[in-house]
Amino acid sequence: MSEVAVAVDDLVVEFSSDEGPVRAVDRVNLQLERGKILGLIGESGCGKTTVAHAMLNAVAEPGRIVRGRIHYAGHGDLLGMSEEAQRLFRWQHVSVVFQASQNTLNPLQRIEAQIRELARAHRISNPNALVGRAREICDRLRLDGRRMLDAYPHQLSGGMRQRVGIMLALLLQPEIILFDEPTTALDSLSQESVLRIIEEIHAKEGISGVFITHDLGIVAEVADVVAVMYAGRIVETAPTGTLFNAPRHPYSRALLNALPRLTGDPRAAKGLTGAPPKVVGEVAGCLFRERCRFQTAQCKMAEPVLTSVDADHRVACFKINEEDGRASV
Amino acid sequence: MMRTIRRFGVAVVMIWMVTTLTFFLIRLMPGNPIATAYQTLLQQGMTAQQAAVQIHILYDVYPNQPVLTQYFVYLWNLVHGNLGTSIVYTGRPVLGLILAAAPWTLLLVSMGLLISFVIGLLLGVIVAIHRDTWIDNLTSQVASVFHGVPNYITGFIFLYFFTVMWPWFPFGNIYNPSIAVGLTFPFVASVAYHAVLPVAAYVFGAFGGWTLSTKSAAMAVLGDDFMMADKIRGLTSAQRLDHLVNNSILPLFTGFVLSLGFMFGGSVFIESMFSIPGLGYLVQSATTQRDYPVMQATFMLLSAAVILANFAADTLYSRIDPRIRN
Repeated sequence: MSEVAVAVDDLVVEFSSDEGPVRAVDRVNLQLERGKILGLIGESGCGKTTVAHAMLNAVAEPGRIVRGRIHYAGHGDLLGMSEEAQRLFRWQHVSVVFQASQNTLNPLQRIEAQIRELARAHRISNPNALVGRAREICDRLRLDGRRMLDAYPHQLSGGMRQRVGIMLALLLQPEIILFDEPTTALDSLSQESVLRIIEEIHAKEGISGVFITHDLGIVAEVADVVAVMYAGRIVETAPTGTLFNAPRHPYSRALLNALPRLTGDPRAAKGLTGAPPKVVGEVAGCLFRERCRFQTAQCKMAEPVLTSVDADHRVACFKINEEDGRASV
Repeated sequence: MMRTIRRFGVAVVMIWMVTTLTFFLIRLMPGNPIATAYQTLLQQGMTAQQAAVQIHILYDVYPNQPVLTQYFVYLWNLVHGNLGTSIVYTGRPVLGLILAAAPWTLLLVSMGLLISFVIGLLLGVIVAIHRDTWIDNLTSQVASVFHGVPNYITGFIFLYFFTVMWPWFPFGNIYNPSIAVGLTFPFVASVAYHAVLPVAAYVFGAFGGWTLSTKSAAMAVLGDDFMMADKIRGLTSAQRLDHLVNNSILPLFTGFVLSLGFMFGGSVFIESMFSIPGLGYLVQSATTQRDYPVMQATFMLLSAAVILANFAADTLYSRIDPRIRN
């Protein structure tokens, strides 16, 4: 039994809107085991990034965490800490590699100035040592450290910025890194090199990570366990191999069906039509039913909860035993 | 560097064009004081020659000289730093009049601009942070109203309430004439006391605009990814506020420097209302009395201030925003 690095418990995040509170994250439970990478997948707007921000209690306005616990091993519930303790906890224990790192740096400061600011914020007694460490990490990431630290954010190319973003995430030696679509904004060559760097860090430093993406190919490459999110809810969790070989939730199956195959006719890939519903307040029933080919009256009346179908494999669906005819594709 | 030199050259050419334009436009205005004086002398029985000599002695111009010749004489004098002599204040050099008036205008307007900018910046940032709360609604409404009221209205209201109804502040002039001019405490205190109302009138007319533009700039910055990332990186509230303010000032900077140029012209109303012997007052009195040399010089100064402020804004902006620098 491996140790749990962070457990998200019954997390609910709502965004206020004119029509009422919109549920961006609905009763989400996640567990990240130490040294493992958890892939969090789903289409845009399903609440993946909000989960990551909530794990740091940094959900952007007008969103707020309605309830839940973010329990970090050795630290307790983040939401129960004082403001100042939370501030110091962020980045020292959990850091983030953002989707568009270029926009996540203050455009008016050189990278080195931003590192020194980080040192001051986290009360690091020797800022010069931190700058030195930043230079070292740059070298490991095959970046020219001196040039990077001397540059303004806009002077770096997309791939460089993303690696500078990774450098910053590693700087305070956190136990956990949240990767929020770190490769989405990059061309495929930079994507490959960033992924390789992440795998290297993971292997060498034993860092635990949450990897958020809508790219199934990347998840298959890096994640140990995958959670599939739909309209703010987790609909299926399974070890990566299991999810890719035997997905049970109709949404997971549809996602995999939408992937073009290397073997066979690429046109056989079938996209999913429709869009996820906007969830205002409490909504009964399965949120996927409108787009689901197996829907019955039961799906409207009751909400399917995550149920174990196998060791480590849990699905929230009444119709997990339906055949979807994928064998014939 | 080359670009800066070229921009400066363009600024100089523009100032020359404005100078030329003013020179001829002024002479198209009805009411030529030289012609009037010349006619008066003729009617007093002087010969044309005597009258011309008399005019030349009095005003340092030849009344019957072609305008084009006058223009070249004017330009020649101008590049030698000679702005001519006043017609109304007979014999007094224009440069002296301007140098005597400019400090008061500079003092009042730069104080007013600086105070209104700082107030507007503070309010704008506070409002942006507390958007859609009562703080935002109240402040934005008040700012819009003050933004809409011209400063001579606020000036008039201040005059009425604080010099007539409650005579807390002095009216007229910029210092008490019974105090000797100099860098002494009583003189400086007297200037400060006299400056309160005109500066307040300027501030009330200008802070609303700065508040509204700061608010929209700060709201845009608050929506930027790096503000979200700053929180996640555990930066302190002070550091995040610092990033917010620095990034919000950028879009206001050009407007601020341009205002420095426009403020000379904008001070006409306030100065004439509070009888402050500044540039605005000089422009106004020179225009009503058709004091050509003074009009010419002050108009040139007002437009040169705007043109040079424009040049300064262009040049300085690239220094404060690294993205523009290269």
